[in-house]
Amino acid sequence: MIRSVCFNIGHGFLDVAQQVGGIAIMMVRIVSRLIPPRIDMPELLRSLYKMGVQSLPIVIVTALLTGAIGVIQAAYIVKRYNAYSMVGAGAGFVVVRELGPVLIALMFSGRVGSNNTAELGTMVVTEQIDALRALAIDPVRYLLVPRTLAMIFCMLVLVMYGDFSALVSGAFMSWAMLGVDFRLYYQGMVEWVELWDFATGVIKAGFFGVVIAMASCYYGISVTGGAPGVGRAVNASVVASAAGIFVLDFLVTNALGD
Amino acid sequence: MTARASRPTLPAPPPLPPPPGFVARLCIGTGEPVVDVFKEVAGIYSVFVRTLYFSFRGRAERGAVLREMYEIGNRSLLFITVVMGFIGMIFVYQGGVQAQRIIPDLTMLGATYLEYLVRALASDIGAMMLATRVGAGIAAAIGSMVVTEQVDALRMCAAEPVDYLVVPRFKASLVMTVVLLIFGGVVACMTGYLTARYAFGQRWDQFFNLTLVRWSDVFIFVIKCVAYGAAIPVVSGYCGLTAYGGSEGVGSATTRAVVNSALAVIILNLVISAAGYIVFG
Repeated sequence: MIRSVCFNIGHGFLDVAQQVGGIAIMMVRIVSRLIPPRIDMPELLRSLYKMGVQSLPIVIVTALLTGAIGVIQAAYIVKRYNAYSMVGAGAGFVVVRELGPVLIALMFSGRVGSNNTAELGTMVVTEQIDALRALAIDPVRYLLVPRTLAMIFCMLVLVMYGDFSALVSGAFMSWAMLGVDFRLYYQGMVEWVELWDFATGVIKAGFFGVVIAMASCYYGISVTGGAPGVGRAVNASVVASAAGIFVLDFLVTNALGD
Repeated sequence: MTARASRPTLPAPPPLPPPPGFVARLCIGTGEPVVDVFKEVAGIYSVFVRTLYFSFRGRAERGAVLREMYEIGNRSLLFITVVMGFIGMIFVYQGGVQAQRIIPDLTMLGATYLEYLVRALASDIGAMMLATRVGAGIAAAIGSMVVTEQVDALRMCAAEPVDYLVVPRFKASLVMTVVLLIFGGVVACMTGYLTARYAFGQRWDQFFNLTLVRWSDVFIFVIKCVAYGAAIPVVSGYCGLTAYGGSEGVGSATTRAVVNSALAVIILNLVISAAGYIVFG
């Protein structure tokens, strides 16, 4: 019994250590390919289109729903304290600092991160990565660097679109549910929410982009075992991204301060 | 000297249809996604109805539900603990810092946090996490069986795939989602208290103030848990069953499952929260 518990704890620890180490080594390799920066531009543009432009509808839908939900939850407190002029400020804080970046990162990890893992995993199990190596093409420079850069940049841009959509839907919801005038909502927001709050959200989004890129690329290129292996890798990638997003959220929030 | 045979002349090809105009392109561009979404919703509804039917009338396989409960529940425990633990810390810290900007009094921090935790945070964020973890797992497992033709083998044996593959996961998810979300809420509560204590110097009795938590909030929490627990396996089971084409197909089915389950959670959240506000407001 004790032996099996020790075995399980040790095995789990070694497993996590191996994954963290693998991700760290991959990160170093990607950074080393950026000095001097020689980036495959067509692949970068293709990734930007696939990850950014094609994710825009799902990000906007998520943000619209999120803004509406945020106002419904805030409505209880607003009614209790009769603080109708603070609805815009509350929605602004919550959306630009926390809810916007985190929920958009979760959706981005679900759509783009898992797609990236599946694509790289399929290339591994169909031996396309070996074929690249046989042609003396560096898979890190050709496949991982453009995807990593594209994910970080797309997260930065998508969060801005998402924040705007969530604030607009929040304004409509507070008008429909609480009868708060658009002008009052806007005034409350610009009075209390500072540029630094918005910047905090965008900086966080950049970090989330790094986490999603690292997790999805690592689990994608370390796939083993055919089609079921690809499924398992995608699962592991989204789980690692989600856990990483919340851990980083806490650390970055504390590091950036108020 | 023979005369050179003349080549048979080919009939002139039919003229190409004119390229679609602006209005036609606009109709195609807007109509296609609408039809796609409609098809997806109809497919999910069909799997949901069959799952409900076989939940009562199907052949119960011994131990299948328990196995899935272990897979969905026990194996998500560490993930939910980590995520909800950090959520508790983030929300109490952010809430405290922002509240201090407006009102310097933090006596109601714990009460407001617990109210928000019960009504929304524990169920919504926890369910988003489960949609990611459990949804991807179900779609990957069923999708792998589809592309390796194991599901066709089931059909050859006159067994309904929904009955064998989706129903045990549906029952297991209904139970384990409630358990995991309550557990996640407790974890977020404890880490929230630790943050309030060390960051803002709150006392135990000051933080655990349940005066703002109403029975209607608990009721909304339970309704949300059951709705999410039912939606995640049905949506991801549908995505897994519609996988096609080798390892690429499994990957895309898993991706669709994560996105669609998360969207289902967000839409259910909006509907239940709005209904709850209108009824209990």
